[in-house]
Amino acid sequence: MANAIYNSLKLVFLLCVTILPHEYLGAAEGAPVEMVDSAGRHVAARDTSRVVAIGGSITEILYALGLEDRIVAVDTTSVFPPQALKDKPDVGYMRALSAEGVLALGPTLVLAMEGAGPPDTVKVLQQASVPFISVPEGHDAEGVVAKIRFVAHAMGADEKGNALADAVAEDFSALAAMRQRISEPRGAVFVMSMGGGSPMVGGQGTGADAAFKLAGVTNVMSAITGYKPAVGEAVLALEPYAIVKMGRGGGADDALLQLPAFALTPAARHKRLIPVDGAYLLGFGPRTPQAARDLAAAIYPDLDLPKLPERPWTKAQGAAP
Amino acid sequence: MEARTGRTARERRARLGLLACAALALVATLASLAVGPVTIPVEHVLAILWRAVGGSAAGAEIGLRETVVVLDIRLPRTLLGLMVGAATATAGAVMQGIFRNPLADPGLIGVSSGAALAAVLWIVLAAPLAAALPLALGSFGLPASAFAGALMVTMVLHVVATRDGRTSVATLLFAGIAFGAMAGAGTGIMLFVASDQQLRDFTFWTFGSLGGATWAKLTAAAPFVLVLLALAPPLARALDALALGEAAAFHVGIDVERVKRLAIAGVAAGAGAAVAAAGVIGFVGLVVPHLLRLLIGPGHRLLLPASALAGGALLLGADLVARTIAAPAELPLGIVTAAIGAPFFLWLLLRRRAELFG
Amino acid sequence: MYEAKEIDYAVPGRLLLEGADLSVRPGRVTALIGPNGAGKSTLLKVLAGELRPRRGRVLVDGRDITALGPARLAQRRAVLPQDVQVAFPFTVAEVAAIGLPPGERAPSRIAEALERVDLAGFRDRPYAALSGGEQQRVQIARALTQLASCAGPGYLLLDEPTSSLDLSHQLMVVDLARQVAREGGGVAAVLHDLNLAAMIADEIVALKNGQIAARGTPAEVLTDAIVADLYAVTARIGSAPPSGPFLLPQAMTRA
Repeated sequence: MANAIYNSLKLVFLLCVTILPHEYLGAAEGAPVEMVDSAGRHVAARDTSRVVAIGGSITEILYALGLEDRIVAVDTTSVFPPQALKDKPDVGYMRALSAEGVLALGPTLVLAMEGAGPPDTVKVLQQASVPFISVPEGHDAEGVVAKIRFVAHAMGADEKGNALADAVAEDFSALAAMRQRISEPRGAVFVMSMGGGSPMVGGQGTGADAAFKLAGVTNVMSAITGYKPAVGEAVLALEPYAIVKMGRGGGADDALLQLPAFALTPAARHKRLIPVDGAYLLGFGPRTPQAARDLAAAIYPDLDLPKLPERPWTKAQGAAP
Repeated sequence: MEARTGRTARERRARLGLLACAALALVATLASLAVGPVTIPVEHVLAILWRAVGGSAAGAEIGLRETVVVLDIRLPRTLLGLMVGAATATAGAVMQGIFRNPLADPGLIGVSSGAALAAVLWIVLAAPLAAALPLALGSFGLPASAFAGALMVTMVLHVVATRDGRTSVATLLFAGIAFGAMAGAGTGIMLFVASDQQLRDFTFWTFGSLGGATWAKLTAAAPFVLVLLALAPPLARALDALALGEAAAFHVGIDVERVKRLAIAGVAAGAGAAVAAAGVIGFVGLVVPHLLRLLIGPGHRLLLPASALAGGALLLGADLVARTIAAPAELPLGIVTAAIGAPFFLWLLLRRRAELFG
Repeated sequence: MYEAKEIDYAVPGRLLLEGADLSVRPGRVTALIGPNGAGKSTLLKVLAGELRPRRGRVLVDGRDITALGPARLAQRRAVLPQDVQVAFPFTVAEVAAIGLPPGERAPSRIAEALERVDLAGFRDRPYAALSGGEQQRVQIARALTQLASCAGPGYLLLDEPTSSLDLSHQLMVVDLARQVAREGGGVAAVLHDLNLAAMIADEIVALKNGQIAARGTPAEVLTDAIVADLYAVTARIGSAPPSGPFLLPQAMTRA
């Protein structure tokens, strides 16, 4: 009972906070855009002048579209381009949002990756007067391109969106052509961390698994679903050609290679430990073709895979022209 | 018969029970060495071990891979399992003796809460920096800080509960609860600021695993576990006497304060090293001594070594389940011990109740 | 001789013993009597070394017990505390064996001690399943086991040894205490039953408000005046009730 009262009071407060900015902020462009978001809700974005971007790939897409001036806040996963977190207020981690934190900056639109949370907070945000749009996640070429078009459409920037989507789709096609040159796919294991003693590996259904597919690499841990600790000896038995490791490090003296379970793998014997940047490889934004190509190049150095063309959004300084 | 040997039926059964525990530990050790994702015939395993101790193995063609799997992966893991199980169960038995309560465990003196707090501090604050650190710090940081946390919290609690050279077990208990709550709050704050991956790391750490077993880790943990295993048997008579209360124990010549100091130091070292090396592994310290008390009686002279052996055997058995049932994924060890241990404990409780109350 | 000299003992806010002296002599039984809260048990605990006095010293055969340490003190005296809770499912024989010195296994000594407290057939029974009186007798057997392991005749300190016992076993305690004294040991016993105190003791020490109120032979201490003063009652020693049956332990022997 008391809880219900508290919740409704909170809602009233939130409404006050969110309604105020409308009084003096006009709509940015055009008519409201009706769309069905990934939660199946019909949402209309009336005003796209003040956007909160929740999810690293959304921020990347907005910067790539040259719409960074409309971003009023980002979340902590928005690590690229680096100036995003420097220039914009931070609303916290995308899975641990606070409704007030998100709305406090007076946004007119919230764009959040599906999977943002916690669910109760998302429910509160969905009921607030500010449109809240869940952006569908996609872990393959079509998914990433669709994500770009979706975000652009929500922003009422279809024209720029189509240009960006076409360019990224082109990069994906170039990547697919590279994959054709791989005659004998090599197996690798993705190690997320060594936290609990056993290596935490990426199995089926993970972003790592999808990134491997894009790079033409076989995930030797496909018997596992999700990110799980693996039996060390099993890694040895599966004989991975390379070990892909999240984070920094990766020299020949990396702690990982010294572990007995890894030391005898072909990967460790030939020092094939590939460190990857999580946001780059697992972000699934406009840079994904480049990230997958870099991984493929590291695992198939003998194929001399060409670099993909450099794009404005793949550069760290990446502001739009 | 009794007149000749001077032993009661219970004493004879207790001796048999101790032998059974030893046999169980041996079988578990062999099974743990023989079974794994890499298929190695048992005779090869034995030949590899025989060679490792300097014997000459005739015949058998054994590859380098098999040798490395047995000697560098399974053997350290098995020995670590024996050590962690022995330390956890012995620490449980000693704590139960000191607290005169069959539900006591090393957690009461802050070992688990201290280790958990230090572990989460390491995972969230230090590990991100440690990726760039040299090997030693990278892989030893977590266990070393967990161990330091366990020791520090235990020391603080001991100081709080000691006045005029006398340690109050009741104060220790309440201070332990209070400190556990504080450490829980600290852990919560750390988890609040942690990323998904750090959360996952910590969660799996709290469930325990023998996955990180290396010779280096084993050598680091062994001295502390040995301290506990060496300290415990001389305390057997004192723990028996403490069952009658601290006053009666003093009357029969026990230096009660010294015994408490030694027990707490031993448990902090042994259980702290076990938690540091393998994470928090529930139920072994509770179930093993309890079960053995029913089987061989509460006398600590046999209970302590039997607990060490049975604890090691149980942990190896649980680890075998943990690394085969979902292979190539590894089930967290603490989940297996709790999943097996808790229903068994409940069954035991209900059966005893039926016996006692008809 | 086992002696406490000028003992002061205090808990916060209250002085429990003030200048109390007590001597337990080999070959003699000393009974401590007095009303509730007089300090009898406290004095016995100070004597046992369990409580450290604020002032005064406790000596065993001329040596200070604090210098002796628990292990060596245990070779000189055995103690029966008032209330003993046993934490784990020990058997009768195992509880009695806790009185044995370190490393010793003497099944015959355990059997003998259990026989002396009428529990010969009880050795393998779980202690927890015994009645209160039987449990008290097991504790007496444990103290006797320890006493028998002492270097030479030692001292036996008994805190209300008959509190849970039936008539017959109260007499048994009297006999045991006398026997210990006959064999050269010294006994101190806190007793509430003045008849038993009169039967058991060579010397009675009466305490009131933490001080020694009277000491002497039973005949010297158990007078109308002293008993009246101790317990705040009107008392007439040695007088039969005008009507109705009465029974004194002095008029009984064990079957």
